Amino acid sequence: MEDEAKQLPPGLTQEECPQSRPQYSIPGILHFIQHEWGRFELERAQWEVERTELQTRIAFLQGERKGQECLKNDLVRRIKMLEYALRQERAKYEKLRKGGTEATEEEEKPPQFEADEMNFGVFQGPGNAPGPVLTWKQGRELLRQYLQEIGFTDTMIDVRSTRIQTLLGLQTSHSSTDGHPAATPAAAVGAVNGKANLDTQKRVAKKERVDVLRDAEASVLATFDFLAAEGAPGSDGADEEDEDDVVMGTPGVDEMQPPCTQDPEGTLGLGELAGLTVNNEFEPQSKDLPKKWNAKYTLRSHFDGVRALVFHPVEAVLLTGSEDNTLKLWNLKKTVPAKKTAALDVEPLYTFRGHTGPVLSLVMNPSGERCYSGSLDSTICVWNLPNCNVDPYDSYDPGVLAHTLTGHTDAVWGLAMHASRPQLLSCSADSTVRLWSVGDQPALSETFKFDAVPTTVDFIRSTNSHQAVVGYSNSDLVALDLETGKPVTRYETTGCGQINRLVSHPTLGITVTGHEDRCIRFFDDATGKQIHSMVAHLDAVTSISIDPHGLYLLSASHDCSIRLWHLDNKTCVQEVTSHRKKFDEAVNDVAFHPCKPYIASAGADSIVKVFV
Amino acid sequence: MAAADTAPPPAEPRRNRPGTKATDFCGWPDEPFEEMDSTLAVQQLIQQTIRKEPANVDAILKPPDCQDEGVWKYEHLRQFCMELNGLAVRLQAECTAGTCMQMTATEQWIFLCAAHKTPRECPAIDYTRHTLDGAACLLNSNKYFPSRVSIKESSVAKLGSICRRVYRIFSHAFYHHRSVFDLFENQTHLCRRFTVFVTKYDLMSKENLIVPMPGQTDESTA
Repeated sequence: MEDEAKQLPPGLTQEECPQSRPQYSIPGILHFIQHEWGRFELERAQWEVERTELQTRIAFLQGERKGQECLKNDLVRRIKMLEYALRQERAKYEKLRKGGTEATEEEEKPPQFEADEMNFGVFQGPGNAPGPVLTWKQGRELLRQYLQEIGFTDTMIDVRSTRIQTLLGLQTSHSSTDGHPAATPAAAVGAVNGKANLDTQKRVAKKERVDVLRDAEASVLATFDFLAAEGAPGSDGADEEDEDDVVMGTPGVDEMQPPCTQDPEGTLGLGELAGLTVNNEFEPQSKDLPKKWNAKYTLRSHFDGVRALVFHPVEAVLLTGSEDNTLKLWNLKKTVPAKKTAALDVEPLYTFRGHTGPVLSLVMNPSGERCYSGSLDSTICVWNLPNCNVDPYDSYDPGVLAHTLTGHTDAVWGLAMHASRPQLLSCSADSTVRLWSVGDQPALSETFKFDAVPTTVDFIRSTNSHQAVVGYSNSDLVALDLETGKPVTRYETTGCGQINRLVSHPTLGITVTGHEDRCIRFFDDATGKQIHSMVAHLDAVTSISIDPHGLYLLSASHDCSIRLWHLDNKTCVQEVTSHRKKFDEAVNDVAFHPCKPYIASAGADSIVKVFV
Repeated sequence: MAAADTAPPPAEPRRNRPGTKATDFCGWPDEPFEEMDSTLAVQQLIQQTIRKEPANVDAILKPPDCQDEGVWKYEHLRQFCMELNGLAVRLQAECTAGTCMQMTATEQWIFLCAAHKTPRECPAIDYTRHTLDGAACLLNSNKYFPSRVSIKESSVAKLGSICRRVYRIFSHAFYHHRSVFDLFENQTHLCRRFTVFVTKYDLMSKENLIVPMPGQTDESTA
């Protein structure tokens, strides 16, 4: 307007202005202003509408995001459960065929790593801006701290990163699919508001997309946090399960470890992480130790094969009988510091000399004051146990040998002590089983003569009936009434090998037998029927023992090993190669401590080992 | 070793199953030493030879070819100490702190028991027991004898002192419990075997071998 005025000739300005005045009359101006105001007002209203619409959309998206979050958490939980189930399956599988899965585990491993890297690529791609990278780094720092604190295994990280990858994939795909439905309402708005609005709409959508990606990143980091937080000690059950599955899969994890650490592809700081977790790897393993029996004490002092062993009913004290004709008393609390080896050496407290032949069988009375030893010299010696803190080089007390039970005319191979009555059963190669009353003055009460040679004998423990079960070298197995001397039950053992040892279960009313033909068999005391039979070892089963709670079975064999079995499902829980062969004999006896967590094995190599 | 000719190895494992009669104990056919693959082969061989003929001392003490001498001596000493338990059991019946207050053989020496921190004048039966217990601990010590396949030279040196102490049990029995000694010796020929053993491997000086062994000493030195 000013420019126009300047162009006007100076004389005319005065006149020209009044002439143009009618064009800009007050009402006209007012009208114009009113009109303009109305237009602006309308526009403002429209913007207002648009804003509310967008706000609704934001709210909607936020709600959706929350929903996704919930879904994700749920999925993560499911994955965890599946993972745990898989671990257990794998552990089972591993137990069944040891080392067989090694290869497949290794095959499984590398792809996971590639996946990881892809994961990182995807991760850093959208976050080109320095901000997100920084948060990612911070997140990783945080994660590492958590890992250090908790000691996650490598496998778990891998599983988790794949899980995160899936989540991330989910998130990005969601954001892109979100983009399309977002466009639809925007178009609708645009149709109302015109093209200019559509442009802004597009700009907003673009902005939103970036936001979503940022959100994705943040949420992934949050996932890390969430997982780490979940993994915090004692936070919830899922974590305990995780620890369990590490324990269960220990051998597998072990075998999987080397390829991880050697993998040069595992860069991007993950190598560091892997290294970090390798160290932590050992912690869950060491936590695992109490579950497995480990050799702790080595008892050497016998000069020849150890034939029998028995634990004190209460104390950490053990008595062993050997082919060197002696018995030795050991206190596991008195150890000799050994160099380098983890096993502790124990020196005997007392040596019982009285037999003139190898000691073959051994029992202790329920109070732990006396023990009875059967020998090849056909005698049974009754010993008063010295105090378990006796000086090994104290002077000789002839009273330690309380009595010598004579009656058998050949090797005494089996002894059994009644849990509550002062009764002792013995079986001998002279084809007899004898019942002794072992009060203050031990005496023979009954002699049962047979045609076959009894090899092992036990009282039937589950009932208070006056019965014993006797195993014979011809594989017969008979329950005997000790009052009448008549057989009560003949167990179905046709076709079995010689019975080397039998044990009557403390509660279940079953008899468990270990045979020369490598089998362990279970019989029902009531019917005499065989409940279960299994080839338990690679060579003859020499001894069996049932734990005080009646849940586990321990077996020894001339295949040099001892094995621990679940009585429930008859599966082998642990195998330990514990002794060396002398001629064709290896492990002669095993025993559970009646109340303390000890097991012991007696070897033909003249060594006794105690496991904890 | 002559029985090693009995051709193929028996299918029956060499083991004493429960129910084995005393007369059949370890009654399996000999296993040739070359076929023994156990770490306890030397012990197996020694015991197998003793069981066959306890009186044939020379056969028992004849080491197989290429046998490590340290291990051979060690395993024999283990066997001696083990069998000496039998003598100790018999001595327990009549040798008490009342009858033999001190460990003596001839009047010349009183032996002090080395099982204690400071050597002590134990009664004979205690000396016997303590010496055997001490020997059992030493011979089974993980420190001195961690392996039964190879033995350090420094540990082999320990064998001499064990021999010296253990021999006193023979001498005490011989001079103070002659009937027990004779009964035991007739069964086991242990003292004769021991005398030949320590002489052969020069583990004890001659003048300490005070139990007369008619003919045997000359034979072995010849």
